[in-house]
Amino acid sequence: MSMDPLRTGRAAYDEHHERSREVQWQADKWMMAGSAFMGTAIFGLIGLPLFFRGLVLQIRAQKTGLSVRPTIVTLIGYLVFIDAALNSFGWALDLVANHTLLARVFLMSWGNLFDAGYFWHYNELWIGGATAPGEKAWEIALLPIVFCMRMAAAIGFLQMKRWGHQWLIVTCWFGVVIWCGYVANMTIFADVRYSGVVFPVIGWWIYNVFYITPFLAIPYLHTVNREIFAD
Amino acid sequence: MSRSSSEALPLGTTPPYARMHRWLQRGLFVCLTALVLEGAFTFPLMALWYGWPTLSLQEICSEFEKIRFADESRVCIYPYPLFGPAEGAGQRTAQDLWGVQPKPRYERVEFRELIKRRDERIARQAPQ
Repeated sequence: MSMDPLRTGRAAYDEHHERSREVQWQADKWMMAGSAFMGTAIFGLIGLPLFFRGLVLQIRAQKTGLSVRPTIVTLIGYLVFIDAALNSFGWALDLVANHTLLARVFLMSWGNLFDAGYFWHYNELWIGGATAPGEKAWEIALLPIVFCMRMAAAIGFLQMKRWGHQWLIVTCWFGVVIWCGYVANMTIFADVRYSGVVFPVIGWWIYNVFYITPFLAIPYLHTVNREIFAD
Repeated sequence: MSRSSSEALPLGTTPPYARMHRWLQRGLFVCLTALVLEGAFTFPLMALWYGWPTLSLQEICSEFEKIRFADESRVCIYPYPLFGPAEGAGQRTAQDLWGVQPKPRYERVEFRELIKRRDERIARQAPQ
């Protein structure tokens, strides 16, 4: 019996495709579980090994020749998600849960250590929470618009969708605006934010510099061959 | 391994940008790990700095209120009434130098200083 070469080739392709999807999903399950923990901040140490286990599975699959997502796409997608989740967590606490014990101990501690925007006259506005000039406006604007949108974009990007790539570009540029605006605000109102603070300015920078995700993502997003993202 | 051929490059990376993508990937690794470590250790380390477990979380909350509103009679009400006014609304005790920019007068809090502040206050307020 003779084999149809075209049919055999297609079957091999389908099998490769199916196998790649399976391995990617397996790796993603580990990484999603890891990110869920890492996004909560306090349980991050549980999440990190789970995440790295997924990443190792994916890199191993890549080496065996399976068509899985590029490592850098995975890192950008998950990092953007975690960055947005951590920001949302802190700001949601301040915006709607500012009279909880958690907020009044840990936001206050953070404020007293690095940025008195979260200490000075705290819980004095009718809406409660941070009272530093401009801070509430940032929260109201950025939480529902930028951070929610960034998380959605990161998911689309991880699925290698064209819209995920496009919206990640849009929201990462939002990130640049946030960084510039926020730092300018803190500089202009430096007396409020850094007087009586334990680790002012340099402490704040050392703590927050790891949120520079947009600056690492944008050069990649603009130079990657966008054909790899599907409609 | 030579990276001159495009076969060796990750999907989506073209030769002119290979080096940049490699460095970005390293930066992303560092940021991800640092964010997770910060996230995991910030809360426990802050609690230690401000006096836990010698002080309960509610006592820490109370000490913060006394400092920020410069009022020793302040206590941290917990649980706080759900629809009550903001705890600091209308206060008249906080100390600031008011000008074009307010400058708070409270001092920085040293490592576990809240415990010392509490003990000194209790000693001061104790009947002679």
